[in-house]
Amino acid sequence: MIQLFHVSKYYDRRAALAGVTLEIDKGEFVLLMGPSGAGKSTLLRMLIGAEQPDEGQILVQGRNVTKLKPREIPYLRRKIGTVFQDFRLLPRKSVFDNVALPLIVQGASAGDIRRKVTEALRAVGIEHKKEQLPPVLSAGEQQRVCIARAIVNGPVILLADEPTGNLDPNLTAEIIELFKLINARGTTVLVATHDPHVMAMVNRRVVTLIHGVMAPEQHAGV
Amino acid sequence: MRRLFYLFRETWANVRANRTTTMVAIVTTAFTLSCVGIFLLLYVNLRAAAGWLQEDIKIMVYVKEEVSRDAEAGLEETLKGDPAVDSLVFVSKDQALAEFKTQFPSDSHLLEGLGENPLPASFVVTLAPQFRSPDAIQRWAERVRTMAGVAKVDYNQDWIDALASLIRYIELIAIGVGVILSTAAVTIIANTIRLTLAARRDEIDILRLIGATRAFIRVPYLLEGSVLGALGSALSLGILKLGYELFRQQIGAGGRFAGLENLMSFFPVQVCVALVGVGMGLGFAGSFVSLLRSGEERA
Repeated sequence: MIQLFHVSKYYDRRAALAGVTLEIDKGEFVLLMGPSGAGKSTLLRMLIGAEQPDEGQILVQGRNVTKLKPREIPYLRRKIGTVFQDFRLLPRKSVFDNVALPLIVQGASAGDIRRKVTEALRAVGIEHKKEQLPPVLSAGEQQRVCIARAIVNGPVILLADEPTGNLDPNLTAEIIELFKLINARGTTVLVATHDPHVMAMVNRRVVTLIHGVMAPEQHAGV
Repeated sequence: MRRLFYLFRETWANVRANRTTTMVAIVTTAFTLSCVGIFLLLYVNLRAAAGWLQEDIKIMVYVKEEVSRDAEAGLEETLKGDPAVDSLVFVSKDQALAEFKTQFPSDSHLLEGLGENPLPASFVVTLAPQFRSPDAIQRWAERVRTMAGVAKVDYNQDWIDALASLIRYIELIAIGVGVILSTAAVTIIANTIRLTLAARRDEIDILRLIGATRAFIRVPYLLEGSVLGALGSALSLGILKLGYELFRQQIGAGGRFAGLENLMSFFPVQVCVALVGVGMGLGFAGSFVSLLRSGEERA
């Protein structure tokens, strides 16, 4: 599903990623661990074509992301749901409209939008707040909206960059449970975090990055 | 359909969110385009005036004294068959004398002492509209001058040249002012759109990350610029029309130019629609410039 071959990225001659080789199979749940500045976000951004590696190749669903033309990148992103630490919701649009955005962008019909948004909101347990604006929601609720937006068009991959960074331990556990549920439905999930508590909650494959270099793999909870 | 609705809604949201800036942009654009419009209106009216004046330009083809009646008739046939000739009137020697006496009664005694009528017969020629340019008139006159039986071809070259020069100058000024002020209009709209883009930076980033194409992101801003341009242009036409009517009233009230107001004309409806279209195009260009400068094309 996701393959990285000797991927390196440099900023001012400093390696953000150095020769990373990684393979994630379809349906896997992988934690990308590492301290701040380890290169986790850079790796995630490369998977959606927001950054290009200086060396190496990246394949997503068999397509070489590094060879995509700029006009092909939006179509790659439509297959990948992305969850952010700071939620990135549009404050002037209702929860429903925020979640509907990926479907509108793809030109879905009004009926499809209604049905899929309702399903996504129900999946993250926030259907009753669909008319509200994001600023009035709690941090946990906003993250749920962000997750609903990421899964609304049934992506094959879900990427989450520090999704629990702004949440307390209870909310963190709830969000991780949501990711597990999404993964159980067949979506490949890659969660980047620096939080060791998340590793304990997930109990799945862990890839660790330290200063842009991949450490030997381990299994969470082992 | 939903996508189209979204794009229009976003455009409207942009306009509403920046009401003051939008209003300032429309009014400034309107005044800028009004300045262009003044020159355009002047140009259109002068062109029309030049057209009427050139219609009045008559070319005198004088017939040689010794030419027979048959040769005269032959020359008339040749001129009538010329595609450059719109109409012609034959003025015989006797008619020329009679006209002279009518026009200059106090000087008619000058011709009496000469015995025989000294005035030549002539053809008064009006050229077809497409042959009324100074160059075409000159070429035609030179050609006719060489025809058998033609003594002289006369017309007021200086007057034609002066008129053509005036129109050319106005045309150049209109183009120069038009280009400079249109660039100003594009810049005004570009700056307005840049403010909108800066205000919605985060939203654009989000759209990009969820798979919006460049066109999808750009359309609301291009629409907004086009709407601003069209509204600015429409308002400028309103300002011009108002100014035009006040000017006409002023002239019609009497004075040296009384009567001129009936010859003046405003832009026809098609031109007004075209000018609104031009404003829309300038607005579109302004938005496009802003989108390029803002680096919206980044992945």
